[in-house]
Amino acid sequence: MATTTQVRLRGRPAHTRGPTFLSYTPDGTKLITVGSNNTTRVYKTGFDGEPTNIDDCPEQNTAVASTDAFFVIGSEDGNVSKFSLETMSYEKYLTRCSLPIRDVTLSSDGKWCAVSSDELVVKIIGTNDTSAIMSLREQPKPVKHLSFDPSGKHIALSCTDGLVYVYSLINDEPELVRKIDGLIRTLETEDEVSSKVVWHPDGRAFAAPTATRDIQVMSRGDWENQRVFTSGHNGDITALAWSPNGAMLASAAKDGKVLLWETKTQKILATYDYADVMDLAWHPTKNLLSFTNAEGWVYIYNDFVPQEHAHLLKLPLQPAPFIHDPLSEISANARRPITNGLKDIPNRGARRGTPDSLDDILGSDIMGEEDDFVVDDDGAGYALGLNENGKRPNGVVDPYAGPLSKRRTQSWEPQIHDSFQPGSTPWRGNRKYLCLNLIGFVWTVDQDTHNTITVEFYDHEFHRDFHFTDTFLYDKACLNENGTLLSCPVNGETPATIFYRPHETWTARADWRTQLPKGEEVTAISLSDSFVTVTTTANYVRVYTLFGIPYRVYRQKSSPTVTCASWRDYVLTLGNGPVGADGNTKLLYTIQNIKRDEICQSEDVVALPDGETIKSVFFSDNGDPCIYDSTGTLLTLLHWRTPSQATWVPLLDTKLLSRLASGRKTETYFPVAVADNKFHCIILKGGDQYPYFPRPLLSEFDFQIPLSSKPKADTGDDEDVEAEKEGDELGKLESEFVLKSLLTAQQQDLIDFTKSSHSQRTALARMELEIDKTLLQMMAVECREGEERGMRALEIVTLLRDRTGRMIEAAGKVAERYGRNVLGEKIREVGEMRLSAMEED
Amino acid sequence: MALPLQAGLTPMEVAFLCEMEMVTVVPRQRLESLNLLSGPTPTLRPPHRAPLPLWLALLLKRQRRANILPPPWLLPSSLERILRHETETSPLAFSPPPPHPHPITSRISPTDHISPPFLPSSTADAPPDYLPYHWLELGEILLEAASDDVPEPDRVRGLLRDLREVRMSKMRGSVKGLEGEGGGVSKMTGVGAMEVSEGRGFILGVLDGLRKLGSSREVARREREEEEGGGEGSEDEEMEFE
Repeated sequence: MATTTQVRLRGRPAHTRGPTFLSYTPDGTKLITVGSNNTTRVYKTGFDGEPTNIDDCPEQNTAVASTDAFFVIGSEDGNVSKFSLETMSYEKYLTRCSLPIRDVTLSSDGKWCAVSSDELVVKIIGTNDTSAIMSLREQPKPVKHLSFDPSGKHIALSCTDGLVYVYSLINDEPELVRKIDGLIRTLETEDEVSSKVVWHPDGRAFAAPTATRDIQVMSRGDWENQRVFTSGHNGDITALAWSPNGAMLASAAKDGKVLLWETKTQKILATYDYADVMDLAWHPTKNLLSFTNAEGWVYIYNDFVPQEHAHLLKLPLQPAPFIHDPLSEISANARRPITNGLKDIPNRGARRGTPDSLDDILGSDIMGEEDDFVVDDDGAGYALGLNENGKRPNGVVDPYAGPLSKRRTQSWEPQIHDSFQPGSTPWRGNRKYLCLNLIGFVWTVDQDTHNTITVEFYDHEFHRDFHFTDTFLYDKACLNENGTLLSCPVNGETPATIFYRPHETWTARADWRTQLPKGEEVTAISLSDSFVTVTTTANYVRVYTLFGIPYRVYRQKSSPTVTCASWRDYVLTLGNGPVGADGNTKLLYTIQNIKRDEICQSEDVVALPDGETIKSVFFSDNGDPCIYDSTGTLLTLLHWRTPSQATWVPLLDTKLLSRLASGRKTETYFPVAVADNKFHCIILKGGDQYPYFPRPLLSEFDFQIPLSSKPKADTGDDEDVEAEKEGDELGKLESEFVLKSLLTAQQQDLIDFTKSSHSQRTALARMELEIDKTLLQMMAVECREGEERGMRALEIVTLLRDRTGRMIEAAGKVAERYGRNVLGEKIREVGEMRLSAMEED
Repeated sequence: MALPLQAGLTPMEVAFLCEMEMVTVVPRQRLESLNLLSGPTPTLRPPHRAPLPLWLALLLKRQRRANILPPPWLLPSSLERILRHETETSPLAFSPPPPHPHPITSRISPTDHISPPFLPSSTADAPPDYLPYHWLELGEILLEAASDDVPEPDRVRGLLRDLREVRMSKMRGSVKGLEGEGGGVSKMTGVGAMEVSEGRGFILGVLDGLRKLGSSREVARREREEEEGGGEGSEDEEMEFE
């Protein structure tokens, strides 16, 4: 694809021999060059005559930056001077340093000028008010290059210690948000070679030259390496510049070549031979690139982009080259592009941008400070157009088709719950988890042409980990004791495919693959001990046996489908129902027993607070459905085997956990499983939303039904502490009682509806005994507290489950021990009444 | 004594006792419950956490059958807070030991007298920011045997060394209080087992020396008292003799 141009461009001798730098004004009318002599030249675009000279400037200039009204020059004598473009004359000194200036840059609004010198501190100075100074001090060595991101909210410093320091300027006090190791190389400040970080115009990523002469793109949201522009240069890179719309990248290197790359494919579009190029600048709108070399020459290259690629310049803002762009990604956790729900809803559709609207001509960065792409304050990287529910609005079908600001002004649409695969994470960099559960985890790595999938188990003795090359690009997975289930999306001609691979087999080949009908995409898959369940975009629920025999196909009543989960013969499907009062669709669930062909719960509502959504759904190890919602609450379904008896009961509110009580920690939890009456999750710190590599440890929390707010710890008086301890003890017993009653009810259901084993029945008896014991302890506390709490104590006695009367006897003894004779009397009465009632039965 | 053994436990013995502390492990393979003298161990099912005595956890760790979860106080952030407490908040006293897990109230209960290693002070749900009784030896053992399970092991190692030095100097400094009248070692709450064992030689030596110094003074004083108190008597005697 590389073409070498034949036309040799004549350079203009602008300066004496030495490093020369240039900058276009944002409106593109002027090009300013500085060099080693004391003249600054201002070229008018489209005017081929002699440039305007500004003479009274320092010598040995090292950097220049400009706005429409003024420009600033940094020079080796340590001065940063501001020049007016209106009067073409020196205006004032912005700052002085004791050591040579190495780089100056202006924020996109022109209000701030960042200055780096051989001093350690980088200063950011107000261009109008030079007394407003912010200092960036975290770096231990001088900084060679600076660059503001397009929004001016972040600044990246290429330090001579080989690290990139990124500061956030959102608050008054600059804050170091990230040190990036291993991106750029260690250089001296006066080297001609560049280590400059260049922000992509969409502001979500930046590029930097690496030690291996490649150009690495890194995303700002998660600081992951993204695409790389590789094997282009044979010399160290001296300059980089994105085209104004981000569709192309120009780079120059010591090998005497200037390369033009296409962002999307990372291919070289054109090669030009110009030696010693030091600085590159694209014209903001025209097909024009100017560059300077170390000889003091300036080249103004009209039609730099070859004619066959010139259309690339006319494109609207292009996305940075992500491996998996979080905006366009159709991952398990993102909104699917085509959904059946949409077409029925009256929708005026997104207005396309008028071909020559002001927005398009001027570009978003002129019309407003907001970068149109991302307002990513939470650092999660997916912030595009998120509404208050943390969801992407429906309109974002093709995020790059036109200016988004237009799309936001749509008619009202219901907020639907997005489909997701429980236990999976979206792509981050080139990796994602397909499945995380208590058996093990499945993850995939994007290798450009194919993926590699790794399945690892927690129990290394039970199963051997395995690893395979995946040419189908599987994007969903389930894992259990028996096997691994994978599914891949439609890929060109190949329809969506499901692949099941058992862990153990006694035949030669046990894995099977089945293809869905054309055009049908998989929305979620689930795997149980006996069935494989697949929900699709065509609203079908397809159930296969473990060895691939299609067992049932039915259309889901609620749509669009959200996800599914299964346990033994039970399949739970979730879908969007009618729109509720809060503008969100109601989330409906259906539980079926596939083998018996019974519906346990039909289109019942998942109890969610207003505007909240569901994070994960799974069955506990005892086979009870559990959900984890976006408020951080774990709920389980009680009495779900009897139609219309089901209730959602909270098991744990992670916001009330005692580990968060100090207020020091901010963490969220990624739900993994419920087993052994514990909630297994991964703790996510620092605003992360999903776990990443290396795989974090699983944490487990005991259930804690949210009953009351915890009394505050340590106060002054000892008596207070004592009283609180009593209250604490009672509170603990109370929550124990509620929790045990809940678990007993679930066990009771399990025994009633399945072929129960002896051990299950004894477990139930033991659990009931435990409840009674807890009640007795509560009663003991009440008795100790005093005579006046007798009525409450008596009420506790009536709650006892024991039928034999032994527990009531014990309660009587407790009352006697504390000398509550009246209470003892009443307890005996209750006991007698119970016994007589039982005899009548 | 016939054996030339020092008084008290040697560091080896302290470390041995420490191995009875319970730690939390994440097993990597199944193991049925074992009937041990100290009671049956929980059935190990990966990836469910289980509490095990340290010696068994170390055995499984060496065989790569389990990972040990470091107790929360062994994390660098927690150790830093403890170190700050030791050096800045209370530069004289030792940082407090973890609160007793069974609330000690005015009512006497059998749990009041349980002490390490029978308290779960080093499991994954132990409270952070408190050094338990066996902190030094447990930290060293985990760093030696399971450094891949401890986050930032080098920093933890450094912090443990810092803490040890700060606390040893406090221990030595506390001896100064012995000299004066009615002196004694200042408050020893929160001192670990290994520190007691290490400090024993020094403190006993100092005490012994002081006792010797004090005894000669004591003898002299007693003699003087005898002379003064018994002077009259002797005078009487003398008188009688005369």
